[in-house]
Amino acid sequence: MKEDQVKPQGIDRRTFLKTSAVVGAVTAITGFPTIVRSQPKEIVIGSIQPVTGPIPDIGIGMQRTNRMAVDDINARGGIKSLGGAKIKLLLGDHGAKEEVARAEAERFIKDGAVCLVGPFLSGPAMAIATLAEQRNIPFVIDVAAMDAITAKGYKNVFRCFPKTELFMVSIGKFLDQIIQEKKVTIKKIVVSNVGDAFGRSQGAAFIKLVKDKKYPFEIVDHIEYPLGVKDLSAEVAKIKAAKPDVLFPVTRTGDSKLLLRELYKQRVELMGIISPGSPGWYEPEHIRDLDKLAYYVLNNVPWVNPKSPVFQDVNKRFEKMYPGQYLDTNTGWGYVGVQVIADALERAKSTDPAALREALRKTNFKDHPMVGGPVVFDEKGDNINATTALIQVLPDKNLDDRVKVVLPKEFAVAPYVFPWKQLWDRG
Amino acid sequence: MDPFLVLQLALQGFLMGGVYGLIALGLSLIFGVMKVINFAHGEMMVFAMFLSITLLLWGGLDPYLSLVIVAAVMFGVGYAVQRVFVNRILDLPEAMQVLVLVGLGIIFENGTLMIWGGSDLSPKTSLALSSFRWGPVTVDVPRLIAFILAIVITLLVLLFLKKTNIGKSIRAAADNRYGALIIGVHINRLYGICFGIGAACVGAAGALLVPLMPAKATMGAPYTMISFVIVILGGMGSLIGALIGGLIIGVAESLGTVFLPSSMKQVVSFTIMIVILLFKPQGLFGGRG
Repeated sequence: MKEDQVKPQGIDRRTFLKTSAVVGAVTAITGFPTIVRSQPKEIVIGSIQPVTGPIPDIGIGMQRTNRMAVDDINARGGIKSLGGAKIKLLLGDHGAKEEVARAEAERFIKDGAVCLVGPFLSGPAMAIATLAEQRNIPFVIDVAAMDAITAKGYKNVFRCFPKTELFMVSIGKFLDQIIQEKKVTIKKIVVSNVGDAFGRSQGAAFIKLVKDKKYPFEIVDHIEYPLGVKDLSAEVAKIKAAKPDVLFPVTRTGDSKLLLRELYKQRVELMGIISPGSPGWYEPEHIRDLDKLAYYVLNNVPWVNPKSPVFQDVNKRFEKMYPGQYLDTNTGWGYVGVQVIADALERAKSTDPAALREALRKTNFKDHPMVGGPVVFDEKGDNINATTALIQVLPDKNLDDRVKVVLPKEFAVAPYVFPWKQLWDRG
Repeated sequence: MDPFLVLQLALQGFLMGGVYGLIALGLSLIFGVMKVINFAHGEMMVFAMFLSITLLLWGGLDPYLSLVIVAAVMFGVGYAVQRVFVNRILDLPEAMQVLVLVGLGIIFENGTLMIWGGSDLSPKTSLALSSFRWGPVTVDVPRLIAFILAIVITLLVLLFLKKTNIGKSIRAAADNRYGALIIGVHINRLYGICFGIGAACVGAAGALLVPLMPAKATMGAPYTMISFVIVILGGMGSLIGALIGGLIIGVAESLGTVFLPSSMKQVVSFTIMIVILLFKPQGLFGGRG
């Protein structure tokens, strides 16, 4: 009966599938239609932050604003010069470890990242910078201050955040202004810093500043303690024994709380605390948990510009998305870092690393929420317009509004208080 | 050198040493009875700290009061952990036991991170800022209370082990597991209770630390290490050794800041551990307590 079977005429299902596969393969190889190939649907960027380890709160916050910036860019139509290509953000965690930061960066490059952003800490920033230079992939540092990161002149590394040297220029000016305006005589000071790369670099730079500017006060003690420390009673006992007028601490979150509570319990009399620039003093959890103890600490940080419409817009949405949180120096620069990359992609009209690098080098990004001028990179990749403001925690019924910019005048929203009221005299 | 500063540091270290002793007590008890080192110890303590903070924020319960609830919950957690995980690995090689317990530590840490987030939490408690002058030194009240309660809890655990039938059975099982089995001791349940007591001790220590320091989900690992150092110093399995070891390490770390930079204070503890391992490897109270 086999011979009697009637074969169907025309094209059968298998032939159709085979033909389609061949046509598809030929189309892909020859590049037709070319428009599909030249417009990537997604541009991959890798964000590496300390989401676990000793400072996960900061890392989580920064990854939130990295992501928020990506969402904003995609919502307004993606990268228009690349046919509206959307940005895809890969989320990585370096856990405050250099070797993990490098491994994460390596993974993202393998996964097709055209640019990296991050990483809050200077040690991991150094590790990623070295790898980015080896692999020829642009790396935009949102937050990390140590001078040495850009000192090597890597051509792929760009830093939005001010370097330690700039922090010191600002704190020098603010200190001069405070001494002059308040007519105070400071005779003895203590400098303390957390013992990670940033803390050491910031502490050493401040001590150098005091010596270089030949201030009339003496550094009677310099105290360093490890990152993640959980007991500062011995260190505060040493501060008390040194009898300083002002304490200049470089902290992380957590140790700032310990420090203030121990200063209270051991009744250490001071004119005030002035941080040369560090986290720990402005976070919502710090303000909420310490309440009146958090008041009057002066801190020199590249803060948000409260008068900027961009800040007001981004902060409003951020507060709505994450109740109890507000845009601060780290989350603010986290937002800027991704926006700077998107701006460069727009001008580069390409995801090619060389083109992106050239575009980043010509960056002039004005619409950001931070203090300072437009983001413009010098030949070493440092933002020449990055600067700091002096902030102070001042009494306000609304916990979210207690951190005020007090200097310089162009950004200030409140007058500063110095000397402070002693910790135990605040009712 | 300022003698008052030395006195102040010695006092602070001594008071903190009491809490160190309580943390290490749990580790020593678990090791003494089951010959298992609980590498999730610090992470369990942090979990307890967050439980205590939750009771404070939600119920307004001061950590000194919630200590009993936290210890009871941690007893349950410890009992469950022993019966579900640890009991199955008692006869495995030590390297395999370490893997399971380190894994448990990671689960506790990340569980804490998922539930309470990564921030430093340090809500106000009634006595957190209390201190008084005692001659030339300042005495930190929460540290003093923590010290007294730590000593009381340690003595209660010792009494429990010496005087009660369950305590005697635990000691019998620690001396000879198979002997205890032969005379009809329900060894699995006993091990569960023992692990529960260890977890309750570290839970109580966690609650006592709430007024003293901000809690952070990722802060557990150094406490596992310091408990380990204390247990080696005091003698593996010795409860009195854990207490004395805690006091020694507390004072040594605090006084170490006079001679060394604060960032190197852990060097003091580990140097003591190395010296002990070299010259008295069984620890100060090894084989007793």
